[in-house]
Amino acid sequence: MATLKLAGLLLVAGCVGTEGPPPKTSGGTLVISAVGDPDLLIPALTSSALGLQVTDLVHDRLADIGDSLNIVGDRGFSPRLSDTWTWGRDSLSIAFHIDESARWHDGRAVRSGDVRFTFESFRDSTLGASVASLLTNIDSVTTPDSATAVFWFRSRAPQQFYDAVYLTPIMPAHIWRDIPPSAWRRSPAARAPVGTGRFRFVRWTPRGSIELAADTMNYHGAPKLTRVIWSLAPDPTTAATRFFSGEADLFEGLRPEHMATLKTLPNVRIAQTRGLIYSGAQFNLRDPASRARPHPLFGDRELRRALTMAVDRSAIVRSVYDSLALPALGPTVRMYSTTDPKLPQIPFDLARSRQVLDSLGWRATTAGGTRARNGRPLQFTLSVPGSSVARVRMAVLIQEQLRQAGVKVDVEQVDIPVLVDRMRKRTFDMVIGGWQAQASPGSGRQSWGSSGSRARDGSNYGSYENPLFDTYVDSALAAFDITTRRALFTKAYQVIIQDAAAIWLAEPIPTLGYHSRLQTSGLRPDAWWGRVGEWWIPDDQRIPRDNAPPPAAPSSADTAARKAP
Amino acid sequence: MLRYAAGRLAQAAVIVAFVAVISFALIHLAPGDPFSGAIDNPSVSEAIRERLRAQYGFDRPLPEQFARYLSQLARGELGWSHSHDRPVRDVLANAVPNTLLLMSIALVASFALGILIAFVQVARRGSSVDHALSGVSLLFLSMPDFWLALLALLTFTYWFPIFPVGGAVDPVMHEYMGLGGRILDRLKHLALPALTLTLLASAGVARYQRAALLDVLPADYIRTARLKGLTERAILRRHALRNALLPIISLIGLSFPALLTGAVFIERIFAWPGMGYALVNAIGSRDYPLVVGSVIIGSVMVMAGSFIADMLYAWADPRLRGT
Amino acid sequence: MAPDAATPRQSPLGRSFARIIGRRSSRLALGILTAIVLLGLFAPLIAPYDPAAQPDIVGMKELPPSLAHPFGTDPYSRDVLSRVLYGARLSLLIGSLATLVSLTFGLAYGAIAGYAGGVLDAIMMRILDGFLAIPRLLLLVAILAAWPQLSVAALIVFLGVTGWFGLSRIVRGQVLALKHAEFVTAARALGASRRRILWRHLLPNLVSPVVVAATLGVAHVIVLEAGLSFLGIGVPQPGASWGNIIRDGSDQVAALWWMSLFPGLMMVLTVMTLNVLGETLRDAYDRSW
Repeated sequence: MATLKLAGLLLVAGCVGTEGPPPKTSGGTLVISAVGDPDLLIPALTSSALGLQVTDLVHDRLADIGDSLNIVGDRGFSPRLSDTWTWGRDSLSIAFHIDESARWHDGRAVRSGDVRFTFESFRDSTLGASVASLLTNIDSVTTPDSATAVFWFRSRAPQQFYDAVYLTPIMPAHIWRDIPPSAWRRSPAARAPVGTGRFRFVRWTPRGSIELAADTMNYHGAPKLTRVIWSLAPDPTTAATRFFSGEADLFEGLRPEHMATLKTLPNVRIAQTRGLIYSGAQFNLRDPASRARPHPLFGDRELRRALTMAVDRSAIVRSVYDSLALPALGPTVRMYSTTDPKLPQIPFDLARSRQVLDSLGWRATTAGGTRARNGRPLQFTLSVPGSSVARVRMAVLIQEQLRQAGVKVDVEQVDIPVLVDRMRKRTFDMVIGGWQAQASPGSGRQSWGSSGSRARDGSNYGSYENPLFDTYVDSALAAFDITTRRALFTKAYQVIIQDAAAIWLAEPIPTLGYHSRLQTSGLRPDAWWGRVGEWWIPDDQRIPRDNAPPPAAPSSADTAARKAP
Repeated sequence: MLRYAAGRLAQAAVIVAFVAVISFALIHLAPGDPFSGAIDNPSVSEAIRERLRAQYGFDRPLPEQFARYLSQLARGELGWSHSHDRPVRDVLANAVPNTLLLMSIALVASFALGILIAFVQVARRGSSVDHALSGVSLLFLSMPDFWLALLALLTFTYWFPIFPVGGAVDPVMHEYMGLGGRILDRLKHLALPALTLTLLASAGVARYQRAALLDVLPADYIRTARLKGLTERAILRRHALRNALLPIISLIGLSFPALLTGAVFIERIFAWPGMGYALVNAIGSRDYPLVVGSVIIGSVMVMAGSFIADMLYAWADPRLRGT
Repeated sequence: MAPDAATPRQSPLGRSFARIIGRRSSRLALGILTAIVLLGLFAPLIAPYDPAAQPDIVGMKELPPSLAHPFGTDPYSRDVLSRVLYGARLSLLIGSLATLVSLTFGLAYGAIAGYAGGVLDAIMMRILDGFLAIPRLLLLVAILAAWPQLSVAALIVFLGVTGWFGLSRIVRGQVLALKHAEFVTAARALGASRRRILWRHLLPNLVSPVVVAATLGVAHVIVLEAGLSFLGIGVPQPGASWGNIIRDGSDQVAALWWMSLFPGLMMVLTVMTLNVLGETLRDAYDRSW
């Protein structure tokens, strides 16, 4: 799954955390300073980093990925909603046994029917989940009894287990069954999730806060923290100030300009590591007015390449991120063992870019003016989320660099939900997007492959299609041998880089600031929030907000109300 | 008096109708579908889209659409806000009280401060104090609202962190506070935005009131008072001020648009959850129904302000009291 | 009533000018404003850099004020002094052109209403009440939010067409008063044509209030434009307007203080001088009555 990100950071285990004796106590409130609101709180449907964090804490997967981020077979995976699993003799099925003590936050028992329901829903084309294109190898899910869910696969593949457990957290059938999938996104349930995670949802006040509380009766034991609260700031500056002033314990949007302030705050720690995020200016290859036609400008591969040549990507990344990001390599991240860090790129060459634009017939009538061809100016709109300082900066830098090449760019700032909407409808020229990759490099297929382009709600928003790229990625995913996988992925990336599906920009180095009173024992490499349940705040460092009474558990009346849309 | 009020009310009704015409025109002249946000936003379900289409009758001829629109407005329906996922009416019902709170505090405080400054100036007219205060009030009058708010934010949340960064309440702890704590929390968040708006508004009041006081000073009754041997200050207090109150009342009505404009920027910068904040956020989320709804409600607020001022004026002015 | 209005010995403009020169504060204001106008006018010659150029986005960004960059640089390595100078050019241009648009509308509308009188006047005034009831900023936000990515020319037009309501009411009042003034009646009795009365008698008497309204109007438009640009719906990137420069630095107000301070001071100075001049002019024509 590639999600559009506001700002997101992931940590590799071992880089952070406090050593010392195991916690003698537990408790405390974790306040996270964040920007804006999530779009919705349905796992695998949310397109915001915030939504991902909240749903990850509220929902459980069948099994959790290990710190090695191994995705081949089930090595490293640990039991979660499923306590044991058995592989079929031909490896074409896996039977998951559901932990019988697992309860939904409203008190109902978890059944295998919930697992089947989840899979069938996410595969339903009327729901339009972009994760559907990654579930194609799963043929069906059967439920021989209420505690067993059997996944049936079409073919043996290295990532069978990963596909089954990782992509879709399990959702409660009794809540979602009565809502037609097309109405999910708009249902009240989409804003008040019920899961099995160690934290249960309490409330979401738009532009205010999102609050989770410890699920004290949880089948994996109550979490150590009493509450987790996202304090939602209207803009990045306010979010940062709330963190620095101590109103929040954790902030994941640290920028180079914050480093000076951080040095003056002895109680703040910084955690930095390699990440799973990359950003780029994505071309829309289809006409925003009609998906049937190619984009009047970006349908032309040579034009896309010429524009890419005019952009000094490494200077932009250094200007915007200083040392907090590396230039992106392509639709991938350096953390994958299958990524060659020396992938050849289209080089920055302004003179060559001008030549190519001339040869394509885009000529400027006046020196320094905007180029035009047959009366159509070489002009387009670059849309960015206003909530991301980094992306707004990159947009203005690109605007000026392209002006040097005689291209006129209008920078447009909109909110994340509007941008997501335009991307889903393909009604944009160019956007600066951020992709949160997953543990598997296969997520690239969803964001850049033909299937993601053609699906009604696919997340290949730029509609880049090249069968060669698809074939290389599919072959790579089918290969069990790491050398072959890497070679095939390298070929796939070469195709898409040379086709200039986007101007790849940055691979941010996740930089998380947190208050030292927070005992962060154990951080998951693919998501820093993965083990928040094990965090705690020592008694002697508590402040009033840590000791606020826990919110009451929802009554059954609330649940009934939540069920009815 | 009653007849005057009724006439004035009828006039206000005509103006509201006119504002409705303009907002209708705005909605229809805007590119895309009318209420485009809600109509072509795919996150709006087909059912709601159908309901909206039926509600506003887009396929009907313009006059009929306008009639429908008017009847919707009359029932207080302002459309659907897709960024809040609620009716615009509900969004504004939550936001407007916050704006009114901010505006009324600023209104009262700025009139008190402005009148006081004017009084001091006129009592010592021509002195260096008078000139200095004139200069300061001109400075504040010339300062863009957002710039002063930025300076205040920088000074009192960054250099001297006395006040919280923004919002109306502590986003985390407010729910868990006792009554006293809640009130204190609200006051702490209210102080800086209210102070900024007060400073901006009082500059205008001071200049206006100074001129008004100077206008009545040459009047006959003041001359009489002076002949009676009253001190300058006593004259000012007893006679001039009372007579200069009439222009102050009309200034109340006139100051509403400026207060509202100031509130928009101040709410944006201090994240004060009022109508201006909702409006500014609606720009980024392309929530056009919310934008137009805010314009309508803002106009109604301005009109209500001038209506109240006119009524006060009629009540205070002996020449109008009889009519 | 205005004994000298029928046969003006000194033109209203000349009288206003004399008034400004006569006061120290307004003389100073006029001097400062002239300087700012000249700076804006000759910005291409004075500004050390191209206001949109990003000379070195890594090495020269966010530099504090220095000799090379007296107002520092912004996050895109653009020279803030050059941007402030071009900002003066743009702000004054937008302010004066938008006010010109307002004047045209306001004069025409007010004069027609005042001269026609009767039912037409009543209707026109009620329409005006409606427009006046809508706060100008809200109206502008509604317009600009509907048409994002507007050009500066369109911005000027919209600022202009939302700014004439107050002015036209003043004009109408003046016309109404003058229509029944003795000298006009006399002129009419002498057989002067309507057009002649309008040109020779009414318009000259309108000059004073119009000049006052225009001066204060320019100040108002400058503040409005800056506010709209600050909200992100005014002048688009990379255009240099005072509001824009402040917006570019607003995510780090404390660290990049020079980005809010200098354009802000320029704006306050400009608006203040315009206000002083406007008030002086108002006093001038108030007393000549």
